[in-house]
Amino acid sequence: MATTLGIERPAARPQATGQAVARLLPAALALLLVAWLALFIAYPALAVLVRSVSTRAGGFTLAHYYAFFAKAYFLRSLLNTLILGGTVTGLCLALGFALAYLVSRGPRVLRLPLRVLTLAPLIAPPYLFGLALIILAGRRGVLAQLLDVQIPLYGWLGVILSQVLSLLPVAFLMIENVLASLDPAMEDSACDLGADEAALLKTIILPLASPGLLKAGLLTFGLSIADFGNPALLGGGLSFLAPDAYLMVTGEWNMEMASVLSVVLLVPTLGIFLAQHYWLKGKTYTTVGGHATATELRGIGGGLLTVCLAPSLAFGVLVLASYGVIALGAVTKLVGIDNTPTLLHLASTAGLAAIQTSLQVSLAAGLVAAIAGTGLAYLCVRTETRWSGLLELTTLIGFALPGTVMGIGYILAFNRPPLFLTGTLAILILNMIARFLAVGLEASVGKLYQIDVSIEEASADLGAGLLTTFRRITLPLMSSAFAAGFLFTFMQSMISLSAAIFLVAPGNLLASVYIFNRARDGDMGIACATSCFLILSLATCLGALALLARRTGNRIFAAHA
Amino acid sequence: MAEPPLLRLEGITKTYGPITAVCEVNADIRRGELVSFVGPSGCGKTTLLRVVGGFARPDAGRVALDEEDITSLPPNQRATAMVFQNYALFPHLTVAENVGYGLTIRRRPAAEIARRVEELLSLVQLQGFGRRRPAQLSGGQQQRVALARSLSLQPKVLLLDEPLSNLDANLRIQMRTEITRLQRDLNQTIVFVTHDQEEAMSISDRIMVMDRGRILQAGTPAEIYERPGSRFVARFVGAANFLDGTLGNGTSGRASIATRLGTLIVEKVANGWMAGDRVAVLLRPEAIRLGPPEDRAEPNRLLGTITHAMYTGAVIRYTVQVGGIPLTVDLSDPRHTPAFRRGDRVSLQLPSDPHLLPRESVVDPGGGASSP
Repeated sequence: MATTLGIERPAARPQATGQAVARLLPAALALLLVAWLALFIAYPALAVLVRSVSTRAGGFTLAHYYAFFAKAYFLRSLLNTLILGGTVTGLCLALGFALAYLVSRGPRVLRLPLRVLTLAPLIAPPYLFGLALIILAGRRGVLAQLLDVQIPLYGWLGVILSQVLSLLPVAFLMIENVLASLDPAMEDSACDLGADEAALLKTIILPLASPGLLKAGLLTFGLSIADFGNPALLGGGLSFLAPDAYLMVTGEWNMEMASVLSVVLLVPTLGIFLAQHYWLKGKTYTTVGGHATATELRGIGGGLLTVCLAPSLAFGVLVLASYGVIALGAVTKLVGIDNTPTLLHLASTAGLAAIQTSLQVSLAAGLVAAIAGTGLAYLCVRTETRWSGLLELTTLIGFALPGTVMGIGYILAFNRPPLFLTGTLAILILNMIARFLAVGLEASVGKLYQIDVSIEEASADLGAGLLTTFRRITLPLMSSAFAAGFLFTFMQSMISLSAAIFLVAPGNLLASVYIFNRARDGDMGIACATSCFLILSLATCLGALALLARRTGNRIFAAHA
Repeated sequence: MAEPPLLRLEGITKTYGPITAVCEVNADIRRGELVSFVGPSGCGKTTLLRVVGGFARPDAGRVALDEEDITSLPPNQRATAMVFQNYALFPHLTVAENVGYGLTIRRRPAAEIARRVEELLSLVQLQGFGRRRPAQLSGGQQQRVALARSLSLQPKVLLLDEPLSNLDANLRIQMRTEITRLQRDLNQTIVFVTHDQEEAMSISDRIMVMDRGRILQAGTPAEIYERPGSRFVARFVGAANFLDGTLGNGTSGRASIATRLGTLIVEKVANGWMAGDRVAVLLRPEAIRLGPPEDRAEPNRLLGTITHAMYTGAVIRYTVQVGGIPLTVDLSDPRHTPAFRRGDRVSLQLPSDPHLLPRESVVDPGGGASSP
């Protein structure tokens, strides 16, 4: 009752026009967001689906699917993709768990270094490790030149290794979160009843963490099968769905088969997404996170420590070696072959131009995504629109769809009037927003659920209108979610490749695409140099944001993690 | 004391960064005893319990159980068992699996575990609940499961960390009885931590009142309530009025105390007090008798005016202004005694055997009487 009264009351005051605006604006905003989501997420996705069952003349056909399933090559591709996903997921979960376990419960001196090392791959393009591995262990790589060791890198080993390196931070962050949400009293209690560390792990921690592990596994699987860069660089003779779809578009301009491949890739991704969203929702043992720290006298020791630490350190060494070799590659003629120092690669201007474009696109996408995400969240949570469920779902689907699918979808959707956008910067920005909007949205939704409605009601009760309440009360409280949305979209836009590679035009190459193309053409020096610039500019931006966060007391990184 | 204490704490100090949570605490706990650590939040009682349980390592001091030093043993090697404030039941295990967890870890035969679990569940009156999940139980039932689980390994000392604070008022009182029954039936030594003085008084053999990391006073509930060593303790375990005064001369234990409200005649003064000592007279609300105003002067009788009345069922708690000093006075059995109203003039009969405390002018600079 208080709400209704509180909101109606100002209407009696003379500011009637302000009130009308306050009532109309959310509606207009809602309409805008709905139209946006429909146009830039639903429409391209549907365009892929429609194209996969269309004849050139526009009729309905399943012939493309017959062609797919009749061809051993494509089936092999599908199988390879699934095997890759499964293997990488298994490895990431095991390694991610070991690392998260060490970081949360291991020896204190190791916690911070391990965490930093594990998260380090986040500021590099996902295929950077593919590039680094080629320089390190490729046919004419450092190991081959210096030690005369030939490693069968091209094929399963290389793809799996590079994907694990690039996807581990994601799995790690999720598992770390799960481990942090376990009530320390559970472990204390089990310990009190006689459990040693191994028993604790087996009987308490793993069972309680299993729903979270499953979620992390599903996400990793989805990212692995959607990954384009690493399989394309290191696949060798092996075929995978995402690179195949790219070849269909760029090599044969066979949009029908590209669409079919996209749909096949999309089915497991969407399945995973739906499983996460409906089946697994709420299936977590989030135990009460009261006070109390965990036992001080407990400690991971002996065998368990070795089991966790050995692979973790191996991972850490690989990450460091990868970054190191990229840095070296930037300042030598050809690492391993001709180690003459040179500044030529660093002086290349094409790479810098690409980074500038990347920064422009990413900043724009980040800002819009953060604003739209916050607005959308408010719309979904607070004004009980009948469509709010659908809005949230659409946004999340935009996030869940593999970049390849969204890239092909955008080509299909915006390559003709009325919206002829291909080749422009706008299509890149719009694509990035559509793909990463969900993170800002979810962060804001989470925050809004935390902010008690009564806070807003209290404001309304004191005579503030809907808009004023949003601006003065809700927005400041949601600033961390806003920052998270911006940061995620910005970073992902800077480094992501799979959709952008379809959408860039010669005049507006993004850094991630530029580096990938140089690496694929064996132009390692330029690729390394541009990578260094990209990583440095990302690190600078992150540092500036962290500084800003500390100044303003805004906990961006807490929200981001 | 012929028998050595079962649990001995010697000079326990525990700091967290700049904060000293527990400071040089000494305590002895005898076999079969139920001892409460009680104090306001942040007084260090839970930290002390965690030190006993092995969950926190003291910076200094020694924990001995049965004369064996256990200070640096981890929890899984101590013969102590803890019941956590939120029970910490394992949500993925059934009630029976929870209760049998410790025995399973110790690889006892399945038949023995099953039998023990049955015994323990009937001990806490939860027969037939073995197959349920913790989430399907009420708060009180969860509490019982936690108790049964902690008793499964027959600990020498059972540690209870605010175990009743998550239960509603009636259940809390019921569980108090339950815990004292377990203590008696099993001759179980129990260390109990609570911020609720009433809870501590009602179940403990002995109470240790803590504040700012130190034990201020240890004793039976009656000792603590009737003969507190300081104003803090006196106030913490119940409502209290303090009347500052100076001890006068007297004969054969009888003495007079000069106060702002006149001279108080005290029948018996404990040893150690001397004439001229500045004292604070402890007057519990129930020890002051209210009556209709009478002009006849009697020793220890004062006149006052009721300024507040609060009906609580068992008693009516009055605030009575006496010579500019408010006194808290309880009138019990309000149904059978004439009640007073705000503004009524009343007479107050102060006890002739009050407990005396040293006057702490620093704590109460205003002097005079004060209420909690």
